[in-house]
Amino acid sequence: MALIEIEHLSKHFKLLNRREGLKGAFLDLFSGNYRTVKAVDDISFSIDEGEIVGYIGPNGAGKSTTIKMMTGILQPTEGKILINGIEPYSNRISNARRMGVVFGQRTQLWWDLPVIESFKILKEIYAVDDQTYRQQMALFEDLIGLKKLYPVQVRTMSLGQRMLCDIAASFLHQPKVVFLDEPTIGLDVSVKARIRDVIRELNRTQNITIILTTHDLGDIEALCQRIIIIDKGKLLFDGPVQRVNQLFGVYRTFKAQIFDYNDTTLDRLKALVQDRFADPDAVHVEENENFWTDIIINQEKAPLREVLNLVMSKFELEDIRIVEISMENVVQKIYDGALL
Amino acid sequence: MRAYLATTRGSFLAYLAYRSGFIFSILNNLVYITIAFFLWRSIFQGQETLRGLTFDQTFLYITLASSLMVTLKTWTDWEISHQIVSGSIIMSLVKPVKFQWLMMSQSVGFSVMNFLTVVVPSVLFLVFVFQVPFYSGIGLLFLPLALVFSFVLNTTIDYMIGLTSFYTESIWGISATKDIIILFLSGSLIPLQFFPDWAQQTLKLLPFQAMYHLPLMMLIEPEQPVMTYVMSLGVQLFWVAALLALARLFYNRAIRVLRVAGG
Repeated sequence: MALIEIEHLSKHFKLLNRREGLKGAFLDLFSGNYRTVKAVDDISFSIDEGEIVGYIGPNGAGKSTTIKMMTGILQPTEGKILINGIEPYSNRISNARRMGVVFGQRTQLWWDLPVIESFKILKEIYAVDDQTYRQQMALFEDLIGLKKLYPVQVRTMSLGQRMLCDIAASFLHQPKVVFLDEPTIGLDVSVKARIRDVIRELNRTQNITIILTTHDLGDIEALCQRIIIIDKGKLLFDGPVQRVNQLFGVYRTFKAQIFDYNDTTLDRLKALVQDRFADPDAVHVEENENFWTDIIINQEKAPLREVLNLVMSKFELEDIRIVEISMENVVQKIYDGALL
Repeated sequence: MRAYLATTRGSFLAYLAYRSGFIFSILNNLVYITIAFFLWRSIFQGQETLRGLTFDQTFLYITLASSLMVTLKTWTDWEISHQIVSGSIIMSLVKPVKFQWLMMSQSVGFSVMNFLTVVVPSVLFLVFVFQVPFYSGIGLLFLPLALVFSFVLNTTIDYMIGLTSFYTESIWGISATKDIIILFLSGSLIPLQFFPDWAQQTLKLLPFQAMYHLPLMMLIEPEQPVMTYVMSLGVQLFWVAALLALARLFYNRAIRVLRVAGG
């Protein structure tokens, strides 16, 4: 049996339609005008023990809502979740004993105390026996050099140090499953790499199932064998990461800030690239804010060099940047049928 | 149980991290004691007893009430409200512990620290500077338990006030109202004996007097029949049970707002 089974899971929220202005805000006090938002809409999947699964989607896709249901905080509107054979939302505490959680924007560590105190408190909260505790702490020493951080007050730590400690803390009690929500958010490249190594090692040595939500496709590439993509509450894709990798690996976004940008610039640019590359998937032009233009290039169909030369021959560019495709674009490509 | 003890220890240590704050808490309380001394001395001017209390008893009641108030001030309501508004309550809810017990055990840590840093120096100040006589008697034996009940009553009320922010988000108004109500109706500002008779009768039906008035009476009148103290503890125990039950019901309702409506 799979470790986590999710069947036809839905979560609907009722939100108050807020009105504008002072008068509107006052009227809202008495208003019963609600709309229903389907944050999660009929999702099913199952996850086996020891897997690292990337759970991704754009902002507001319903990732956090699903995680909150799996951690037992939210009650599903419909459908059910079984983790280790129990329903987390009806057995919050017994589910919590076998789970670890890292929410990248928050911390479970005691802010004002040296970090070792947090580990001691967590040892008691999860009733970890002395031997396991020593063994886990030795492991964390190997992986992240935790010892020299013992006396450091959490609030004086750098974000990277804190995140490493938070991740270690979530593995202390050898949970069955760990939820990592945006563990690399706001970190620089070298720290991200370190965090990925640590997560991979913890998964490998302890066979702990990891569910990772992230905006960083690099995290997915480095860690996951399988990804689940959701958008607007619906499941878009569930399968091996290689398939998606093939998809987003060939794309680059060429961001350009065009000199003397005006109303016709975008149309002229679109016409220019369409002349050369007829296939709409080869090059796609999109307006971005602050006079930036995004030119999304499929390198298999349109060599990056050619597109650069073409654009620069006709437009004066103030600034350029070439980046990997964003999560939003991956989702858009999937909508457009790229994986079918 | 270990989980909650560890939490208490943690909050005790966290409070220690802000050591410079103690000095102001102590000063604050000492200034209050000094003002109370002159205020009540002028109220008593020339009279041996007022409403059956001597000046010494009244002064002791008032100053220990204020020290007790400092001890019980653990900001549980604000902590819960902060967690709810900022969303960090999820970090508490993903732990295998009961939320109410978690909040209470943090509160214990703060209270113990408050007691050591404010009440102990205040009592020394009372004894050595104001030369207040402490009374001895059988009532003192009942005092520790009475203070534990006071603590539970106080944090349970704070806890429930904190939970209201599931509905209201801000608790500034409601928490300030609670503070004022407790201040007046519990005897912590003015001994209940100084209220008109009808008010005293009414206040006996409310939980607030069980927080301050009952334990303080054990301290200033420790030579009553044992039954008096047993009765006092009984009243406190009744309110502890009633408020804990209410808090539980309230939590189950309030958490539904989060679990169903989301955070």
